[in-house]
Amino acid sequence: MALLRLRAALLGPARLRGAGISWSVLRNYSSASAKEKAGRNAVCERTELLEVLKARVKQLQASNVPEVTVNKVELAPLGNGKYEDPLQKVVAPSPTEEQPAPKGRDEGPAQPSSWVEKLKKEMYIRQLKVERKLSIAASQQALEGQAKAKAKTKAKTKAKTKTKAKAKTKAKAKAKPKSKVKAKAKAKESQESQKSPKAKVAAAWRQSPSLYRVYAHGKPRVAAAKEGAKVQITHRVPEDKDSSQFKILQQTIQANLECFLFLQQPEEAERFLLLYHSSPAKRRLLNVNAYNIVMRSWARKGRLQHINRLLSMLESVGLRPNLDSYAAVLECMGRNQSSTKTIWRCVQQLKNDGFHVDELFQKCLFEEDEKEKVLRAIRIVQPNYQLPPPPNPEICKSSLLQDFYSKEKMVSYPKLDFSVQELQECFQQQLEMELDNTVTIESVESSKPLTPQAIKARKLLATLRSQWHDSILRALQKSKHSMSKLKTVSGYNILYPYLCLLPDEEYVSIMLQILNTLSPQGESLAVLARELGSKVYNRYITQRKLRSRQLEKVQHVYEDYIHLLAKNSQPDEYLPREYWEKLVAEAGFGPSLNLKDCGWPYMLLMRLGMHMLELLVQAVKVPRNILNPRLESKLIPVLYHIYSFRSSWQVGLIKPHPIFSQLVSDAAETLLTFNSSAIPMLCPPVPWTSPHFGAFVLNDTKLMRFVDGAIQHQLLLEQCPPVNLHPVLDALNQLGNCAWKINQPVLDIIISIFNDKGNEKLDIPPPISEAPRPSAAPSNSSTWTKSQKHELLLCKKKAAEMHSLRMDALYKLSIANYVRDKVFWFPHNMDFRGRTYPCPPYFNHLGNDVTRAILLFAEGRPLGPKGLDWLKIHLINLTGLKKKNALQERLEYANEIMEEILDSADHPLTGRKWWMNTDEPWQALACCMEIAKASRSPDPAAYISHFPVHQDGSCNGLQHYAALGRDLIGAISVNLMPCSIPQDVYSAVAQQVEEFRKKDAEQGVKIAQVLQGFVSRKVVKQTVMTVVYGVTRYGGRLQMEKRLKEIDEFPEEYLWEASHYLVKQVFNSIKEMFSATRDIQHWLTESAKLIAQSGRTVEWVTPLGLPIVQPYYRSRSTVLNCSMQHLSVKNSNSSQKPDTVKQKNAFPPNFIHSLDSTHMMLTALHCLRQGLTFVSVHDCYWTHALTVDIMNQICRQQFVALHSEKILQDLSEFMLEKYCSPSRETRALWQKKLMEQLSSVPKTGEFNLKKVMDSTYFFS
Amino acid sequence: MLSGRAPPGVGDCCRRLLAATLRPLLCGLPPCWVTARRAAGQWPSPGLRVPEAAEAERLVQEVQRTGAPLRRFIACPQLARTVQRCLQGRASTGPQPVLLEFAPGPGILTRTLLNAGVRVVALESNSAFLPNLQSLENSLDGQLKVIYCDFFRLDPLVNGTLKPPAMSSDKLFETVGVAAVPWRADVPVKIFGILPQKKERNILWRLLFALYECSSIYRYGRVELNIFISEKEYKVLTAKPGEARSYQALTVLWQVGCEIQLLHMEPWSSFVTNLKNRGLAVPKSVWLPNDHLCLVRLTPQQNLFTGGLKPTNSATFIFMVKQCLAKPKSRLTDRLNSWSLDNGGKLLRELEIPKNAKTRNLYPEDYRRLFEALQNSNMFADAWFHDEVLGSIRNINL
Repeated sequence: MALLRLRAALLGPARLRGAGISWSVLRNYSSASAKEKAGRNAVCERTELLEVLKARVKQLQASNVPEVTVNKVELAPLGNGKYEDPLQKVVAPSPTEEQPAPKGRDEGPAQPSSWVEKLKKEMYIRQLKVERKLSIAASQQALEGQAKAKAKTKAKTKAKTKTKAKAKTKAKAKAKPKSKVKAKAKAKESQESQKSPKAKVAAAWRQSPSLYRVYAHGKPRVAAAKEGAKVQITHRVPEDKDSSQFKILQQTIQANLECFLFLQQPEEAERFLLLYHSSPAKRRLLNVNAYNIVMRSWARKGRLQHINRLLSMLESVGLRPNLDSYAAVLECMGRNQSSTKTIWRCVQQLKNDGFHVDELFQKCLFEEDEKEKVLRAIRIVQPNYQLPPPPNPEICKSSLLQDFYSKEKMVSYPKLDFSVQELQECFQQQLEMELDNTVTIESVESSKPLTPQAIKARKLLATLRSQWHDSILRALQKSKHSMSKLKTVSGYNILYPYLCLLPDEEYVSIMLQILNTLSPQGESLAVLARELGSKVYNRYITQRKLRSRQLEKVQHVYEDYIHLLAKNSQPDEYLPREYWEKLVAEAGFGPSLNLKDCGWPYMLLMRLGMHMLELLVQAVKVPRNILNPRLESKLIPVLYHIYSFRSSWQVGLIKPHPIFSQLVSDAAETLLTFNSSAIPMLCPPVPWTSPHFGAFVLNDTKLMRFVDGAIQHQLLLEQCPPVNLHPVLDALNQLGNCAWKINQPVLDIIISIFNDKGNEKLDIPPPISEAPRPSAAPSNSSTWTKSQKHELLLCKKKAAEMHSLRMDALYKLSIANYVRDKVFWFPHNMDFRGRTYPCPPYFNHLGNDVTRAILLFAEGRPLGPKGLDWLKIHLINLTGLKKKNALQERLEYANEIMEEILDSADHPLTGRKWWMNTDEPWQALACCMEIAKASRSPDPAAYISHFPVHQDGSCNGLQHYAALGRDLIGAISVNLMPCSIPQDVYSAVAQQVEEFRKKDAEQGVKIAQVLQGFVSRKVVKQTVMTVVYGVTRYGGRLQMEKRLKEIDEFPEEYLWEASHYLVKQVFNSIKEMFSATRDIQHWLTESAKLIAQSGRTVEWVTPLGLPIVQPYYRSRSTVLNCSMQHLSVKNSNSSQKPDTVKQKNAFPPNFIHSLDSTHMMLTALHCLRQGLTFVSVHDCYWTHALTVDIMNQICRQQFVALHSEKILQDLSEFMLEKYCSPSRETRALWQKKLMEQLSSVPKTGEFNLKKVMDSTYFFS
Repeated sequence: MLSGRAPPGVGDCCRRLLAATLRPLLCGLPPCWVTARRAAGQWPSPGLRVPEAAEAERLVQEVQRTGAPLRRFIACPQLARTVQRCLQGRASTGPQPVLLEFAPGPGILTRTLLNAGVRVVALESNSAFLPNLQSLENSLDGQLKVIYCDFFRLDPLVNGTLKPPAMSSDKLFETVGVAAVPWRADVPVKIFGILPQKKERNILWRLLFALYECSSIYRYGRVELNIFISEKEYKVLTAKPGEARSYQALTVLWQVGCEIQLLHMEPWSSFVTNLKNRGLAVPKSVWLPNDHLCLVRLTPQQNLFTGGLKPTNSATFIFMVKQCLAKPKSRLTDRLNSWSLDNGGKLLRELEIPKNAKTRNLYPEDYRRLFEALQNSNMFADAWFHDEVLGSIRNINL
């Protein structure tokens, strides 16, 4: 009854407001109506009183200040408490610091200022919500009534508290408005004096949750949960429409709160939260997670009453606590050993909200000892509570992998040539490296002798560095100090917490690192800022992994995991991922090996980076006369900021002073510092088990690479059921588990050339000292002629190019040299189309000829009967000769030139140098050496070879198109059809073009006559190759023009016309030969166009279940205001419209890439089942010579299997459902068009796919 | 001083007289008087018929070819007369330099100028307009010269043989018959034309570089430019220090380099474009007014190179101004310091520039003085600054 009356009282103003009368009017009006006023006041008072009480309790708890003084302090602000946002007061840990200056608004506010109004409104709305909920609860109660006896008693107790509260408020309502405040204060005082602090805490805990417990109670669980979800959805809809700015802000807030959590500063976190919470405009940026983070930071300190208050804050803005909120509450209770009753109540509430206790342990990502504390709390109320059993592992049901995953055919995972002990040591090494974040290694140039000049320069540099270190440190501390002072409510420095995450020394070393790697040409501000920012981020993540005990757990699991791989352990019939998951489940870690989402928004990263860069530029100075003592001594900046102008753009650059560059080059330092993630792993990678977990031990690695700021892939992967990702994860694990070693003889030869003068022909970049110098120019620059200036510029440009090439090679070779005696691994991840890449960026098997030549499989296998032949064929393939000949002929040719091969192997640099004139000289040399060793061994078949043999797809893109369209002629020309000699699609197209040309020439077309004798394979090759990847007529013409220009005899005046004509004919020829291909390409393009035009991005799912989204949006740039320079940062965000042109043009090639990656993964997985070593460079597959035949068979099988799926049909169905689902009411014209387009899948030809199985040259 | 123009020969005169008899419109002037005026650069009016606006528009539309860049033409005879008066304005006495008109198109202004007795060289890049102009050239007696040439592709930076309409300025001036004169001499040549708005800024920059380097057309002396530019660009050229949006590096450099006179303002709608839909294609402007095309006369300053500024070091000056005004709100001292030119404080005091002056508050003349002071104090000697200058020229010019 009481509730009902309260509700009636509340309804009054609600109706009024509904009629659209502004609040100020309402105020006047209500003051006339005593009744209404009383009603309103009552509620106001009630909530206010609660807030004040809570604040009081909190204060008593938080501060150790004697009670009396606290009272005094607080009494003053209480005077105008009515118009204060109660929350703001509540928060203040010590009121003196935070209270805004009294504004003299206490006596009779005739003209209330706007913010007062706002506050009132807010309060009012909040109350409305409470009221609504109360009413619901009341009706629920009425309905359920006597259903449960327990519920009844509960309701009674609640009613009691209610009436109590009411009585109080009533009493106050009766008092005159003016004396009201006093009365309240008195009431409070009297209460305080009566109750002991402890009792009050208890009371507060009882009271505050009662606010929401009342309405929450009794609601059917599911319904409640659903409603919660709905509320969230409706909340999100308008937000999504907001600019990307909104998301960035939201992310920034959470990142900031995470920082405070990490720093263990719950007060700061709460203060920051309140900045947003207390402003209605900013408040909508907050979601439950933001509140949860603050709750967690209090929970870690065991401050229950803080959490309670946060819960009520959460409630007051209409958000519902989620599982994580309850986890925080329970953790806190577990930590401070709360009473059974409190915990029991909390658990009840959790259940009422539609959650289950088990879910806590299944879904929440616990850090540190959170899990233990929650469990402790639960066990206080349920002493026999057992952790929920891990969910049964799901098995992927993809038809392509039925065999692969079937339990019957399980075989044990291939063992490495390492014992458990050895692998354990490898892991320790890797771990230590990653814990250090960076690795400093000797460069390959270190073998050069030191000059006295270098020694002097090094000494100088060392002194300078220590000075710089100190000055940077001082600058950092100074800036931090000034930031920390700036903690007013409005001017909160957003960067400050990020500069506290790591010890100061770490920041300094990051900055010095950047200084050391800066090239003499300088670097753009944006690039440097991003690098600095992400370095800090990476170290922070490492710290968090350490702190949250995640590393400990990973270490624990890894120790057991290596039993799967080690040679001296029992075979286990698991995949790495499955085994890892099993171990995690057994250890009871649940999902807590993952860190909670803790990404920093790109803008923040940049801002942090810019700040550090500014410090760097300010702090680092060098005496100007350091190289030339005659000059007067003066400190000048080492780095300077200038603009470079590119047409209408101006780009900010940071350049080192020539003095510094000179010093660095004189010193010729031979130490290189890398991020630990740039070095191949020294132990088998951690298997990918989820999009967030895998690859390196500590370094943060994403399953899917993406451009800065694009998060849609990550979201898509998260939404995807985990089981769908299993094939992809397993394939990546398989690729990453391949062990490698260095081909030392080849490496030594390369390094010797590198340290000598390089060799451009052999792709070994020469040192800068070999750069061209301008012919002697007059010393006075002002007298230079134009041509002299031009020459100088060209020289400079060339030197800059050489420098970057040289550095790239230096990095690669130095890393290779560093791991020369080790076995190492390349963890893999993929791009958004599923193409796989090794994670270490410089040195990997995807590199150029030089890097590929120094890599060997760590595992050796005998050559077997056909192995030597395969090596020879491989060698001929690498030379680029005999492309059109059958394998047998290639083999025969190799035998013919055996003498040359052996000579190359024995005297690579002094002999006849046959190997140097091949397409891929270094790989050819390595292969020569292997052949020499094998053929000289007593039994070549038993020779243990580590050499990888490659098999290349011939025009792989067209192969997929031809198979998709079952194009007969196309299939023949790209070797899908068995044939005695390899077909060459480029020649075929050239032939076709020539035919067209002849016809035209006969009909008197001038340009066709001019082109007589010029149509060749070489002219059309590039265009044919790129047609698959969506080259347009425009681009095609440019390619043609380039080729024709290379032919000297071709008359220049016809260039344009001829290239135009040729590209048309090439397209026609392809259309003729691959009739279905062009249809498919056209269909894909058109579909993508319509989808993009309807405002959505093109998405699809590969046959292996990987979801893909094209990340092309109309980018918008945001300007970052930094003191050094305003930085325009482009961000492509999902909230922006898709870029129609890109979406359209990129879809066909991306789709084909997703298919070739699927084919590769299928091959990888099935090779695993056959016990093969397998790695890939996109459409080039590598394995041992022994197993080439098996790999070829699997590769063909999987190609047939893949294309036997109804790929286009499935795509069409998927898109129809996604983009034209019937639930959408709008049947606009575009949608009809889209539907028609999507459902009209192109027809296919009559090629029999099974033929691929027998095609020798499909991959060869 | 040399007028830089080849005087018409005697034989030429006879042929011209003959032509005059054939053309009744050109009667009534005694031959000797004609010669006298010609010697003064003033030709007798050939009394050409100037087509009406509609006709001119039709001409433009006929020539329209797909892919031709957007161009603007004077079509209205009235406007042509206004422009002609502006161009001739103060030139009543003394020998008149030849007038180079680039991109005349249908030739409305050309005829008006010819009628006013001006000797014109028409540089037309669109071969479709050429026959018309050439027949006009043939009907006259040397008063008009038509050259197939694109003024905006004069002295392109790429090396190699030039294919018309690209041309080197040497060849152009040789054809026109204008010899180089010293910088301080009178204007050797006047140029008139409408800048294409799409490339406006680019062209202004290129001209500026040529001006400061005394290269390209400026190798022949202080060539006077009379060009129609968009109003917003005019506002930039004539902006005053402190004006937030319009005071730019371009402003400073043009104001130091040239005397800038506004001759006339004409609404966009008075011009005809070669667009199919006959649209006006007025470039958008957010911050500055842009309702007109402005006829601006840019006469290089006689004393440009009398101080420390020289064609050889002017690139450094340009670089310095650009760097300063890349961030117009920054303080000048900060800029100087960031280039290690760090006794800037003393320098500024000497120049009586306030210590906290923002770069956008400095007068163009101040920049010049600053540069000359820096030049004298030998502070630019630091190698890095020089390298940057070279680099930046390349970037701008390409």
